Amino acid sequence: MTAEPAGPVLSVRNAVRRYPGRTALDGVSLSIAAGEVYALIGRNGAGKSTLAKAVVGALALDSGSVRVLGADPVRDREARRRIGVAPQDIALWGHLSIQENLEAFAVLAGVAPSNRSQAVDQALAAAGCADRRGERVDALSGGWRRRANLAAAIVHRPRLLVLDEPTEGLDAETRCALRTLVETLRRHATAVLLISHDAEDVATLADRVGVLEAGRLAAEGTPASLMTSAFAGRQELTVRVDAESSATALILTGFGLTPADGGAWSGLAADALAQARSIDEALRAAGVPVGELIVRHPRIDALIAWASSAPQP
Amino acid sequence: MILVMLSVMARGFVRDRAGLILAFLLPPVVFLVFASVFGSGASGRLDVRAGLYQAATSVQSRRLVTALQQRLSAPIRVYATQDALREAVLDGDVDAGLDLSAHLITDPYPASVVMTSGRRASGEVLSAKVREAVASTLARDLARRDAERLGVFLGLRDDQKRRLATVFSGAGPMTFVAERTLGADDPLVVYYAGAVSILFLMFTAMQGAFSLIDDRRAGLRLRLGLAVGGLAPVLAGRMLWLTALGICQAAALFGVAAAIYHIPLFAALAPWSVTATTAAAASAGIALALAAACSTRAQAQTASTFVILILAAVGGSMAPRFLMPALLQRLGWLTPHAWVITAYQEILWRRIVSPVVFEAWVVLAAFAAVGFALALMLESRRRL
Repeated sequence: MTAEPAGPVLSVRNAVRRYPGRTALDGVSLSIAAGEVYALIGRNGAGKSTLAKAVVGALALDSGSVRVLGADPVRDREARRRIGVAPQDIALWGHLSIQENLEAFAVLAGVAPSNRSQAVDQALAAAGCADRRGERVDALSGGWRRRANLAAAIVHRPRLLVLDEPTEGLDAETRCALRTLVETLRRHATAVLLISHDAEDVATLADRVGVLEAGRLAAEGTPASLMTSAFAGRQELTVRVDAESSATALILTGFGLTPADGGAWSGLAADALAQARSIDEALRAAGVPVGELIVRHPRIDALIAWASSAPQP
Repeated sequence: MILVMLSVMARGFVRDRAGLILAFLLPPVVFLVFASVFGSGASGRLDVRAGLYQAATSVQSRRLVTALQQRLSAPIRVYATQDALREAVLDGDVDAGLDLSAHLITDPYPASVVMTSGRRASGEVLSAKVREAVASTLARDLARRDAERLGVFLGLRDDQKRRLATVFSGAGPMTFVAERTLGADDPLVVYYAGAVSILFLMFTAMQGAFSLIDDRRAGLRLRLGLAVGGLAPVLAGRMLWLTALGICQAAALFGVAAAIYHIPLFAALAPWSVTATTAAAASAGIALALAAACSTRAQAQTASTFVILILAAVGGSMAPRFLMPALLQRLGWLTPHAWVITAYQEILWRRIVSPVVFEAWVVLAAFAAVGFALALMLESRRRL
């Protein structure tokens, strides 16, 4: 067995990938160390999936480089063997059971025959689907499929794990189980590239966050440092009104608020408390009853929203 | 690694009962239909449904009709009037009709065969059968008639005419053409066994190769791309499975052909096996290349239908190649179908492993190799 090179598990340098009419990656550089979870966020079409494909060797770059443990995954089969990927879709054979899928992927990933059974058992246990190992993937619910999808990604004990929206559409219990699994992998020195829109995934798992915007890494840092730089002391203001009208919309947009989920209006303000008072007065003057007025520090989902939709603060 | 992919595909196939039935039941059924339509139950006889009108019955006409019936598989239908016979021919109730409205011995043209232009072949077959029947049953009567006419023409006395008639009638049945049958069985049975076999090999291989597109769509291709050996063993596993499936399918079809039409499958098992293997591999190669070239299943369905039908039509799976114009026959050599059909005919009908069989094996193996290489190249370059 050869010794692994020192340095990051994943190193991306000036990655450029162009498609006709657009540049998907425009000089992206990042690195992930062993045991680090790196969350990549950004709006749809920002280049996240393209970067993930380049990282797993499924896509050649026009220029720049991707190195996994110092080797090019497009050319080096040993580098590819060190990568596990759990795509957003369930990348399993539906007609096979979970165990049959894992056995097949263990062989394809080059797990030695003597270790294969143990590797499958461990992956099943880690993903919490050992009890359902004999069930066909087609017959499983979404949550179990996602667990199985993750188990298949780790059956060969990869050094770099690429997770694309691993908790999307899952119930709270399964989300929690999958996050626990990622925590375990981190403790075992697995580097994780996490592509997610889920605020809680990013908040609870990520050591660092990279914001991809139009193929460029627009910002990068720990979640806390990114929050500071993204919001610069501003606070988040959320207003709920009991009866909405065009007058209400006019008043709230006048204060720089925009419609948010659940009929609320929200925005960022430097002096949020004073602005909240002004909004309250304006709404009362217009005869609009205020249901709820919240001032708080921005949460990670505001960061994701900031990264996912223009305009940026 | 190759075996893992083979096993994954095999398990998918075995667990799909509808697929199993379609792959192993349909080809023999279609073959039986083709063989019974074109091979006439392997007897090599063209079944003509004949109609008959007789103005009057006589000893001679009864003998003629009996002899004719012995030469036809279907019972002769008798009509009461000439018009009824004509209508029956026009309506297709019978393929051709025999009109015996004149005296068989005295009239110069006592029998007419009625046919439509769309069924000339049936009419000509009936005409030939009537001539055969006349030659075998009415030869003496006609000889006596001709001797009588010749005697009158030559001014012979009655005793001279009788002697002449005796000489004429002693000549026996009028025969000019003797028939020799080449080959043991009906060539069309083996022809259609080969033709239907390669047609369904293509169908099955295409359906199997579409899993390549399904895997791509499901994100499996991304994971498979991480396989230690890269995509080559992944594709090779598929190729191997499709080839194995094709061999089993051909075995099912030829097994039915051997059981029902007694084609000498077991006597030629070794060359048959090589032909079945190379044919299945060629189909698998073409199917994988096509699946790799298509982005979506819908695209692949359309393209495969087009490719399968064109190859089948030009290659001779739909109509016998010997009925095709010379240009189409030459074009047929560009398809695996023509080579497969020819190889099976050489092995199972002529019962020889001639140089053309070796040529066919090489061409089919080349189809397989080029198809696989193309599939590998296209799939490796595909944008996921």
